[in-house]
Amino acid sequence: MNDDRDDLDGHTIEELSDYLDADRKPYDPSIENSPGCRIALDALERLRSASLRLLEAEASEEPEPDENWIGGILANIGREARAGRRIPIEHPDPAADLGITEGSVRGLVRAAADTVDGLIVGRTALEGDVTVPGEPITVALEATAYFGHPIPATTELLREAVRSALALHTDLLIAAVDVTVVDVHHAPPRPPAGDDAEEER
Amino acid sequence: MSEIRPRDLDEADDRTLAVRAAEGDVRAFEAIVRRYGRLMRVYARRILNSNADVDDVVQEAFVQAWSKLPELADPASVKTWLMRIVGNRSIDRIRRRREHADIDAVAEYAAPESQSPHAKAQAASLDEALSRALSELPEDQRRCWVLREIAGYSYIDIGAELELPVSTVRGLIARARKNLIREMEGWR
Repeated sequence: MNDDRDDLDGHTIEELSDYLDADRKPYDPSIENSPGCRIALDALERLRSASLRLLEAEASEEPEPDENWIGGILANIGREARAGRRIPIEHPDPAADLGITEGSVRGLVRAAADTVDGLIVGRTALEGDVTVPGEPITVALEATAYFGHPIPATTELLREAVRSALALHTDLLIAAVDVTVVDVHHAPPRPPAGDDAEEER
Repeated sequence: MSEIRPRDLDEADDRTLAVRAAEGDVRAFEAIVRRYGRLMRVYARRILNSNADVDDVVQEAFVQAWSKLPELADPASVKTWLMRIVGNRSIDRIRRRREHADIDAVAEYAAPESQSPHAKAQAASLDEALSRALSELPEDQRRCWVLREIAGYSYIDIGAELELPVSTVRGLIARARKNLIREMEGWR
């Protein structure tokens, strides 16, 4: 509508853009005291806050990605890269050389952990030399607990689930399962399950 | 009814998903793809200003993200980190286009549903006004603006990515802002 120069008290939009990008520092009285500049700065700031919102709004109208497209991604990721150390498994026949990857043991730990309600496990680490049979290993877990579930009881269930899964599938000597609760969230909404949840307490 | 099914990871927070994916949990990674796939697609489309390469660029970006996830220092920031990767891949694509063809030949933005004539008639919000104003900007202005305001690039980084002098970038962004503000004035 109106050209800038006339109401910006000698400043240009370029200068105001730079000033805004520098978080309005150092304070420039000739800009801050100019009504025209203040109006333009406000407009620039509104523009900035609208930009990310715009993208989010567009994303919410974007159709769900095609399953083939998602499949194309999952088919192309290099899964071997996360294998980690090789963990030996004993076998009565000394000629047999069995092993399992650290990555698959972590997967096992996650799968066991996912059966426990009231928390979700993030980081899983096997501390100790897993490549040496009989070496004591500590499983270190980080979890996000869900609000309303008693943490001591829930983490105990988690420890037990992880211990028994590892005992069943590996020869690892588990010295401890350490659980660190790194966050507490509100429980994700679950499909209505009646009042069953209450009875478990 | 109550059979044991895998934990629904769609509800986990970003940090948990990113940590699990970094350790090799493909399901967690899939949940990330589903959560942010649409955002990454609209973002790439904004930078590319075309529908043509969105599928490929975002797929490549996610595949790259999988292999780089173990290096992500702050897993809670996986969303902005993904945007950075998508931004870089989009710019790579633009560069390659430039080497192969006239850039104008591919600069054909496919308007999303929200910009259909019907929606246009009832555009009332600032966001829609911005959306429309943005797609009407000259190509070079829009691209610089998107990188600056949405991707958060510095002028120097934008200049390096688009092979433009910083002074040119500064001028383009200022002009883009001026144009956008003018277009949006009716929606104050």
